[in-house]
Formats: sequence, C-alpha cells, structure tokens
Amino acid sequence: MDTSQLLKGVLDLAVLAVLRKDDGYGYDVVRRLRAGGLNDVGDASVYGTLRRLYNAGMLTSYVVPSEEGPHRKYYSINETGRARLAESRETWRSFASTLNGLLEEVAA
Amino acid sequence: MNTQALGVEHYLAGMRAALDDLPPHEVAEIMEDVEAHVAELSTELGENETIEQRLGSPEQYAQELRQAAGYPPRTERLPVTTKSGRLTRPRVAAWGLAIATGITLLVAASTLREPVFLLLLPAVILVLSLVLVHDRGPAQAEIMDLPETRRIQQWLTPEEGTPAERAITYLKSLQPAWWLARAGLLGLGAVLLAGRDIPGFLFIAAIAVISVFAGPRAKVDRRWLWFSLPASALAVGLLFQVVDVAANNLAYNTSRQSYPVPSVETYENIYVQDENGKWLTNVLLYDQDGNPINASRQYYGCRGSDPEPMIPANRYPRPKIDYENGTCYTVAPSVSAPSSTPDTPPSSSGSAPSSSVAPTSVSPSK
Repeated sequence: MDTSQLLKGVLDLAVLAVLRKDDGYGYDVVRRLRAGGLNDVGDASVYGTLRRLYNAGMLTSYVVPSEEGPHRKYYSINETGRARLAESRETWRSFASTLNGLLEEVAA
Repeated sequence: MNTQALGVEHYLAGMRAALDDLPPHEVAEIMEDVEAHVAELSTELGENETIEQRLGSPEQYAQELRQAAGYPPRTERLPVTTKSGRLTRPRVAAWGLAIATGITLLVAASTLREPVFLLLLPAVILVLSLVLVHDRGPAQAEIMDLPETRRIQQWLTPEEGTPAERAITYLKSLQPAWWLARAGLLGLGAVLLAGRDIPGFLFIAAIAVISVFAGPRAKVDRRWLWFSLPASALAVGLLFQVVDVAANNLAYNTSRQSYPVPSVETYENIYVQDENGKWLTNVLLYDQDGNPINASRQYYGCRGSDPEPMIPANRYPRPKIDYENGTCYTVAPSVSAPSSTPDTPPSSSGSAPSSSVAPTSVSPSK
C-alpha cells in the first residue's frame, strides 16, 4: 500500500512530534522525519505542513543568519502546538488500536 | 558551482512564479524556507545531478507545498503585474531607500550648519517606502530579485580567490566594529548639536542608540536596512564634517603662522600729504558709511578724563599725548610725519619732509 496516502492525514502529528524537543528549520524537519522511518515523506509536503501549522498558530518562527547562503528560518512549537500534539496523539492511539483490532479479527 | 548557483536561481524563480497568486507576505515566508532548502540541497548534489531530479519541477514542488499548506489551488493571474512591471512596489521601495540614504548623506555632511529638521525628508521617504514592502517578509526576495539589486550583488561578490573577494570578505568581518564606530560617530554628532538644537540632539542620539541593535538585526531581517543604511549615511556624513572642521582648523593655524594679517596692526596717528608733498593738518577721516575713522588712543596712566575732549577723534594728525608724573598733557600736532615711523607715508612726488622740519616731539610712543 502506498504510504504517502496514509501520511497525508498524519503529517501534522509527525511534524509536531519531531519539533517537540528541539527547534528546527525546514530541511532539519525533513531529515528527522526520514531518520524516524518516514522515508517517503516529500520535501515540499513538509514545508507546506510547516506553513500550515505556523498559520494555525501552533508554531513560531525565528531567523538565524548564516554566513554562507540564505538565512535559516527555525520553527519551534508553542503551547497551542503542544496541546494539539497531546490531543492528536490520543486520537491516533485510539484510532490505531481500533484499526489493529479490526486487522486482528481479519487475520483470525 | 556557478552553474549550480544559476540552477538555484532558476528554480526559485520558477517557484515564485508558481506561487504568485498567493498573498505577497505569504509568498515571502514560503520563499524564505525554500531558498534555504534549495541552497542546502544544491551543495549535496552529485556531479550530474540537478535540483529538479531531487525535488521535481518548481511547479510540482509548488503544487505539493500548496496542498500540504492548505492553500487554494493555483488560479491564473492576469498578466497585469508581470515581472517586467516597471513601477512595482518593491522597486519603488528600493529606490526610496537609495534616495533617502543619499539625501541623508548630503544633509549629514552639513548638519552642523543646516537645521537638523531637513533629515525629516529622508525619514518620511523611508517610512513610506518601508510601508510598501513591510508585508513582504524579512528576506525581501522581490527586491533582491530586481535587476538593479542583482547588479549590485554581482559587483559585491567577485570571483573567489581574487584580491577583491578577499578585500570584501575582510571588510565584512569588520562589520561589528563598524556598528560600534557608527554609534560613536552618531553620538559625537548628537553631542555637537546639544548646545544649540535640543530636538536635533534627541533625534540623533536616539538614532545612535538604535543603530547598535539595527546592525545585527538587519542581517536577519532586511527591513532593518531602512534604518541601518541611512544611519550609516548619517554617520559617514558626520565623519566628513569632523574631518572638514579639523582640516579647516589646521589650515587656519598654518596660515596664521606664515602670513601676518595687516589689519591686526594698530595705528595711533595718521599723517596726510597732498599731491605736492605738502603735509596737511586738521584732516577729518571718514569711512564709506560716514563713520569717523578713529585710531586707537592710549591713555594709560592718565588720571581723569580725555585730555583733549574737544578735538574730534578722527582729526589728524592728532596731538600727541604725553604723560609725565601722573598728569597728561597734549603736544600741538606736528605738520610733518615722524621719520622713524615704520609705515612711512608714501612720498610719491615731493621730497621727504622729514629733513625740512625736525619732528621734535611727535615721534609716536612705542
């Protein structure tokens, strides 16, 4: 099954999760998601998700100058974002266990 | 390296075009992310790899990003505000910044003489032009994309390894020092104004203080350039002025040493000769405004008032005033000039009268 379809619904959750501990700029976030096993995640999707979470008030951003090349815009999660992360995690867990249950029944 | 840089620029231009129906500040925010992304990716690329192979076409990238960000699908824009549009807001803002910086430099170079409120003109231009592009984000990508800005950038980034490139790298490393020097110059300018222009003093002192923070901020947020660049112009103008004043003082001192100024000499008496060489008495001298010309008189030691109050002070030759044992008395004016006078009256045609009449008591004292 093509995981990119599944990913679309949970990319918000994934992005908030990898920003939970450390702030990161766009490409940082892409790398963390891939390092976490989401190999198929598209660069542009991550950048778009960051913009959406930012516009929804769940992330704040700040620019760090770089001597060579363009400046990097770091995103950090704020209280609203953390609340959403906690809430989404519960939703995901119950959803996953529901689906797991369904799949067990099928296998049995 | 260079072809990759070109590829990056091309890719970003394609992205911008694919997003140009979105609000400008949103595009600016996206492009800030994407510029860093594409620049970092381009350093990871293999020998024959292109950005397109890694990220897809700019249009695909934009499309995927729009979907994830929840933006509306692309709507076709009427080609009214195409790239070739002459008077776009970023262009007006960029030129406003350039012109205001130029005016600031000119005004600053004469601020000690001209009223400081002339600086309000560039200040107004700066505010208006910044308002035009404030919503385009800290990177001001549209301004950086203008042909004129690109030319400046090219000029400021010579090829690696050349002396010019090393010089610019070195100058860039001095930037923090310049921020401090700038604040110092502005502070000095404010202090010079403090005595005669309190609002001007406060204005420039405020700029001096803010300029310390503006330098580093402008590196992150280009909108601070609307403060930082004119502040630099102001400091440079003040520097010109300090150099000018110092040079003038130096020139004045040297000229005083080499050329004695004639008017500094004082006269105590004046002797007048007509064209035949005859000495005149009781001549009244006036200047061009009809004011009497009075040579300075010395009465030191005279007790009481002027010994000859009835004689007009501009009547020449004057009676000599002698001083003896605490009393002053006048000696009748002589009809001939003293021969020992350093400034001998011009004896143009006649014979020198000093030989005919002995100047018995008229030799000027001292």
